[in-house]
Formats: sequence, structure tokens, C-alpha cells
Amino acid sequence: MTLPHRLSASTGVGLLAAPILVLLVLLVFLPPDGTERSAWAQFIGRFHPLVVHLPIALILLVPVMELVGRDQRFPYLRASAPFVLVLALIGGIVASLLGWCLGRSGGFSGPLVSQHMWSGASLITLCWLCWVLHGRGGRLEVIYWIVLGAAVGAVAWTGYRGGQISLGENHLTQHMPGAFRKLLGVPARTATDPAIGGGNTFYGARIQPIFTRSCLACHSPEKRKAGLRLDNYAGIMRGGKHGAVVKAGDLRGSDLFRRVTLSSTDDNFMPRGGKPPLSPDQVKLIELWIADGASGTASLDSIKGAPAGVESSARAEVTFGKIDFAEVAKRRADVASTLATLRQRFPNVLDYESRGSADLVVNALVMGDKFKDDDLAALTPLSKNIVMADFSRTAITDNSAPVLAGMKRLRTLRLMHTRIGDITVRSLTDLDQLESLSVFDTAVTPAALPALARLPKLQRVYVGQTAITATSSNAVKEKLLF
Amino acid sequence: MPDSEIRPSAPSDLEVDESLHPGVELALLRARTRRHFLRTLGGGLGTLFMGTLAAKVARAAGVSPEGEALDFTRDASSPLAALPPQFPAKVQRVIYLHMAGAPSQLELFEYKPELKRFDGQDCPASFLAGKRFAFISGVPKLLGSQYPFHQTGESGHWISDRLPHIEKHIDDLCFIKSMRTEQFNHAPAQLLVHTGNPRLGYPSLGSWVVYGLGTVNQNLPGFIVLLSGGKSPDGGKQLWSSGFLPSVYQGVQCRSHGEPVLYLDNPPGVTRPLRRGMLDTIDEINRQTYATFGNPETVTRIAQYEMAFRMQMDATDAMDIRKEPDSVRAQYGAKPDEASFANNCLVARRLAERGVRFIQLYHWGWDSHGADAKEALNLGFTDRCREVDQPTAALLADLKSRGMLEDTLVVWGGEFGRTPMRENRGGQEMKYIGRDHNPSAFTLWMAGGGVKPGITHGQTDDMGYEIVKDPVEIRDLHATMLYLLGFDHHKLNYRFQGLEQKLTSVKPARVVAEILA
Repeated sequence: MTLPHRLSASTGVGLLAAPILVLLVLLVFLPPDGTERSAWAQFIGRFHPLVVHLPIALILLVPVMELVGRDQRFPYLRASAPFVLVLALIGGIVASLLGWCLGRSGGFSGPLVSQHMWSGASLITLCWLCWVLHGRGGRLEVIYWIVLGAAVGAVAWTGYRGGQISLGENHLTQHMPGAFRKLLGVPARTATDPAIGGGNTFYGARIQPIFTRSCLACHSPEKRKAGLRLDNYAGIMRGGKHGAVVKAGDLRGSDLFRRVTLSSTDDNFMPRGGKPPLSPDQVKLIELWIADGASGTASLDSIKGAPAGVESSARAEVTFGKIDFAEVAKRRADVASTLATLRQRFPNVLDYESRGSADLVVNALVMGDKFKDDDLAALTPLSKNIVMADFSRTAITDNSAPVLAGMKRLRTLRLMHTRIGDITVRSLTDLDQLESLSVFDTAVTPAALPALARLPKLQRVYVGQTAITATSSNAVKEKLLF
Repeated sequence: MPDSEIRPSAPSDLEVDESLHPGVELALLRARTRRHFLRTLGGGLGTLFMGTLAAKVARAAGVSPEGEALDFTRDASSPLAALPPQFPAKVQRVIYLHMAGAPSQLELFEYKPELKRFDGQDCPASFLAGKRFAFISGVPKLLGSQYPFHQTGESGHWISDRLPHIEKHIDDLCFIKSMRTEQFNHAPAQLLVHTGNPRLGYPSLGSWVVYGLGTVNQNLPGFIVLLSGGKSPDGGKQLWSSGFLPSVYQGVQCRSHGEPVLYLDNPPGVTRPLRRGMLDTIDEINRQTYATFGNPETVTRIAQYEMAFRMQMDATDAMDIRKEPDSVRAQYGAKPDEASFANNCLVARRLAERGVRFIQLYHWGWDSHGADAKEALNLGFTDRCREVDQPTAALLADLKSRGMLEDTLVVWGGEFGRTPMRENRGGQEMKYIGRDHNPSAFTLWMAGGGVKPGITHGQTDDMGYEIVKDPVEIRDLHATMLYLLGFDHHKLNYRFQGLEQKLTSVKPARVVAEILA
């Protein structure tokens, strides 16, 4: 290159060296420490992965230009290399500053992060060196090529580390087909084993739920306090900024276990911030799990002596049907007007069985002895709709027998403390839906009972305080209650 | 008070009584600027738009504007009128026997031979870590059951020797051994059991039920509360409060002797027609007040006067256990003219027969800490057992013989359980034997309509300390009771403070399907 070019560039050398120095100072004195900082730092920092790819591409372009430029047909390529290098350098500095912001914004710390960071810083320095050495010729030409090669290597290494931070440590091998694994000596797939955390694994069924419930307020993928996430197996085993928290088979070396078993007043105790401590059972489960090798796939019953969890019986859930009020109104159309009239006469005595039903229930007991035989007769138009009826304490007598006999859909009939007798009971032979009959404290005698034997659905007959006794033998003996 | 709904018109910020001063009207008109107009206009248009949009969305979703919401409105003159349940109900009425103070499940229904084996030994540290106790401090000793257990009935349920009468009905009882609560002090725990919320101001179970179903007998309150004398429950009258529901749905506490409600009878010289005339006039004034202010509490006032008038006829009769034959009183161990659980059980049966919807009994003195003889497991506890055993059994027997156990739900339980550790108040061994509060597990039983008889649901560990199977939350109990009464607990609700409030509150509640017959 010509002299004027070099002279004018020397100021550029300084100009570009200055931000690099600033960056290095920042990295040394204000390294990422996992502590959360302002939203601005987070916001700006998130552009790091976006911006970083531009300088990567530019740096990789330089050796291509140098090599192809050796051909006589493309000499301009070699001449343009410094231009591309400067662009790469500027892009790299910007990306590094963004990366520093991201690192400082919280949740990033540990060896992985610092390796990525220093490797990135070296890359920028190497680029700067390349630019300084470019076109010097002679021995410097050789050094230039060595530095350029180092820069390409640094791109690969920084990129790999960056990928590990964002995609996980094994992001390159994670989905590697088995054949490649053998070839490259990568251990067979374990970390991504779909069996990890399954409902039938000890880890999935007993351990992760503890962390999910008690730890994710701070150690979630979003917050990652102390660089630690406890939302999945990989995160637990990776650890945080202080290194591993769970060491398989090594309780003493497992910081997580140490912290949950400290005194709750200790500064290092977890969970902190007033959250309830783990229960003795939960601590025991974690202890057994780590001691057993902290496996993600060991089956639920492989670890003996674990405290039992809360079991549940086989669950038959109750379902609530929907009521189609329009359809209900249609079904009620037949009875609605009669019902309305009778309800005027007997307030609170008659009602639908439910909101979705056209069947009726009768509660005449509220009228007491004001409810007489002719009142009961007034219910005749509705007798096919009545499914439950209570006439206890009313003044009805055997004269009402035909009306009651017409209520053929009755399931429950109560005639306690009334003046009915055998005539009424004998007349109930057509009530083939009747399940329960109470004639408690009436004049009913054993002579009426044979009539009830013909009722197919009858299950219970309450005959307390009647002439019927437990000793009187009859056809419905098993159904009698006293 | 939930008076915002029916208030005729909510006054806006600019509307005041203009007649106060002749200049005010003019000042108000001047104060109303174009900005006011535009602001109102914008809001109004927005509301109109949202209104049409909401209706469209609702139609698109296939629900009517009212959705499936249940209508609980009634005629203002009969706020307690019976309404049908949402679904055909298994249960028409509830008799809830609350043992205030929390009876020890380990002396009654929870047979724990392992605990007996460790009796007198130091409690393991794991029992104490992260737990809060009312009184236990330091390391307490484990305490085996103070009474022998035996198996009984066809269900083979284990029971102690303290409840020989209830024992006869063991095959009718459905035990939940895995109840748990989030409160470890009496008042909030009782509030949680009875209102679904540990804080004041929420409607009680009985209030919700009467709000939802009304009551068939308009001459008696739909929700009656009976106390056995002694100490009132710590939760106080809030336990039968109607909370934000109109206060006509609150529980009516009745006395077990004399007039059921004080001053229910007419004083000498006041005849029934005279009383009627007086009430008619008062009602007329109240109706005018309601027409002006629209406060539902005025409706409550009218209804309460009318109820009291009707109760003069029926309540005294319903509550009078002298009307029962001696033999029946003897069965219950009831003695007229005293306040006792026995009398209340007999009254409860008489009220159930008369169509009262929700009958709440409180017994007292179950707080067996062992701080004195009255609350010692080996002394006062035995008295408490004796006081409730015979009448509870008699109540079950009576309901059963009348066929009423088919559609009555009887619930027996406390507000939490008691610890398998002996209480050591102040770290000292105490003179009497007692147990501290244990909210983590307690036993409750139900009998009657819709529940499986003779079964046990849920299980605690060998010490009776923690639930190991099928935990049932208080809200699950409530959801289950409402289910038996014919309601989806989500649908029995009342709009208050912008929320469709419900008994089971906002956490998901589950109907305990396993115990349903």
C-alpha cells in the first residue's frame, strides 16, 4: 500500500483502538454477574444476538476475498479487504457493547458467559490487528495470515459458546443422529431423552413438582436468579453462577440440598423471601433423589423409602348438565296455567322439581290441618305430573285414596301423622314408580301390607308408630322401617 | 350493604338537590360546559357500542344474554318464597351439627394403633418443621388415643367407646377422614367452614341455601340457629350472617326455652288484630320508604315484621318440646326449660318436620387443650361426648323412622382437627391431657340423602397427622353440599362488588363424587 494511505489510516488505527480499550475496561471491571439491572440494559442487550451476525459474516468474508483476490482477475478484492475489516470491526464493537449490556442486564454469569465474552473481545482485537497488518508485505504478511486465521477460529469459538448460552450446552449434539454420534464419539443421547421428567420417573413425579411449586418464583427461565433455572432437568443439572447445585450421588457437594436444609434464619437458606420452607417430606425426597444419582429417568419405584405422596381415589367427576330454558318452557306448557291457578290457592305447596323439569313436588305439610280432602282433590288435574308428595300433618283421610291412587308417577309419598288408613294404602297398587312410602303415626295395619308387595320399585316403607310391628310376618318385611 | 343495585338512579357528580338554593340551578347550568357534553357523549357512544358488541358475542357463542344464569328474584313481599333447585335435588334440608372448638378425631373416629405405640415419646422433628401451632412449643410428646377403640357395624368402622349411641348408626354415616382447612384459630376456621371465607362479611352456608331455595314454610324462618348454652362459638353471629346477601337470608338464632325469639309474644293488652293493624301501618310507611330509596334492606324489614307476626302462631309451637311425649324426650335426654344440645336436637327434628330449610346447631367446649379440667381429654371431653352422643343418635333415629333421612342431610364436624402430639403449653408438661389444633387433617361425617352410608373417604397417616389420601377442602365440602341440594356451586351466585360471588369463592372447588350415593 502507498504511504499516504498508511498515514491517514494511523489516526483511524487510534480511533478504532479507543473503543476496543473502553470495551476491555468495561469487561474487566464490570463483568456480567447475574444481578438484574435496569430495563434499558435489558432492552438494548436483547439486540445483541441480532446485530452480532453482521460482523461474523464480514469477518468470514475477509479470508474469502483474500484468497479469491489472489487470482489475477479479481485484484480489487484484496484491495477492498481493509474496508470490510473496518466494517466488521465497527459491527463487532457495537455487538460487543450490546453483548455487555445483555450480560449486565441480569441472569448471565458463570464460566460459559465469561468465555464467550473474552473470546468475543479477543476476536475484536484480532480484527483490529488484521486491519493494522493488512498489506504490510514481507514477514508481516505471514503474521497477517496467522492473525486472520486466529480471528476465524475465534468467530467459531465465540459463536459456539454463544449458542450454548442461548440454546443449551449441547445444542450442536442435541439432535445429532446416532451414526454421527458414534463417529464423533459423542455419548449416546441422554440429556434429551424424552423419558426425562416423565410422569413415571421419580424426578418427574416427585422432584420437579417441588421445584415448580417452591422455586420458580426466582429460578424461572425468565428470572434465573444467580443464573440458575430449576424449571427443567437440564437447568437443575447445569447449575448457576456458583457452579453446580446438584451433584449426582454427592449430598454434601450439592449446594441446593445444603441450602434447603439450613436453618430458615440463615442468609443462604432457600426458599427465601418469606416463602414457606420445604416440608420434611420434600427435603427427604430431594435427599433420596440426589443420593440415588439425581437421575432424570430413574423410575418412580426405583427409589425405596420415599415418603408417600397424597394419593387420590379413582375420580368419577360430577358433571352439570345445561338447562335449555326454551325447551323447558315447552314441556311445562301443559301444566303451567293449571299450576299457576293452584299456586294462588296453595301458596308454597306446589312447585317444579327443578329448574329444568316439568315434574312437580307437593309440600302440603306447610298448610297443616287446613289442607283437607277437597283440597287434595283440587290437585287432580296435575296428578300425572307429581313425582314427590308430602301430606304429613294434613287433615286428609281415606276419602282421598282415589286421588292419591291417580298420582301414578309418585316416587316418594309421605302420609305421616294423618288420618289415612288401610283403604288408602290398598289403593296405591298402580303406583309402579313408588320407591318410598311413609305412613308413620297412622292407622295403617298389617292387613294393608300385601297390597304393597305388588309395587315393583318400592324399597322403603316407614311404618313407625302404627299397628305394624317387626314380628308381623308379611310380604314386604325387608322393606319395612320402624 | 348491597344497596347499589336497586337504587332508583345513581346521582351523577353534578346532580344535587337544586331546591336548596335558587342560585344553585343557574350555577350548575353554567358549570356544565361543552367539555362535559363531549365527555358524556364519548362515554355514551362507547357504552352503546360495547353493549351491542357484547350481545353479538353472546349470540355467536350460542347463549342468551342472560346465559344460563339462574333467576333468584322473588316478589318483594315474599323474599323467602321457595324456588326449585337447578337440578332435581337429593336433599331438601340440612341439619348441621357443629362441634365448636374442634373435637379430637383421635379420641373418636380415627383409630391409630401406631400412634398408641409411640405414646410418650418425643415427637419427631419432621412433624414440627414449618408448622405453626397455637400452643405447642419445643418438642412435644406423642399422645396415643385416650380411649379404647373397637370395630363395629357391618362397615367394620373403628370407633372409640365415647359415643355408644352414635355407634348404633355407624352404618348410616359417611366419614370424611381427610378434611383440611387453611385456618388454625377457631374464629377464622369456623368462618371458613360456615361462610367459605375466613374473613368477616361473607354469607353463611345457610344463607346461601335459603337464598337459592327459599323455604316452604313461610311461618318459620328458613335458616334457624340453635346454641346449646355455655360458650357461643368464637366466630360469633357472623357464622350465620347473610354477608352481602340481603339480610332477610341471615340465620335466626332461636332460644331453646321460653319464647323462641325474645318479645315474640304480644304483651298483655295487645290483641292479635291490634298487632295486625299496627303492622299494616308500619308496612305502609316502609313501602313508601322503599319506593323512594329502593333499599332492599327496607324489604327485609317488612318481611321480618310479617315473619314475626306469622311466627307468633307457629314458632312457639314448633320450638316447644313439651309437646313431645316423655318417652321421646327421654330418648334425646331433653329436659324442657334449659339450653342444651339435647333439646336443640329435638327442636331440630320438629323444625325439619315443619319444612325449615337449614337448621344449624352449635355445641361448645370441644377445645381440648388440657389447660384445665373442662378442656381435658380425660375429663371435659367425656362430658361433651355424653352431651351430644345420645341426642345425635336420637335425631338420626327419628329422621330415619319417619323416612326423612332420605332427603335430609345431617353433617357433624368441627372447624379443624387436633394434633397427635400432647399439648405442652409453654414447653411444660401440663396437669391435664390435651391436644393442640391441627388444621392439616380432621374428621367430619355426613348422613342422609345422597351420600353413601357406611363408607369412609380419605385417609391420614399412621399418626393421624397429615392426609395421605383424597384431601377434601372446605370448599369441596361446600360444593358437595350444594350439589346434594340441587345446585352447581358456580351457578348459585350473587353479584356483589362487580363479581358473581359464590359460596365456594374463587379457588376451584370439587364435588366429592366418591361419597355420592
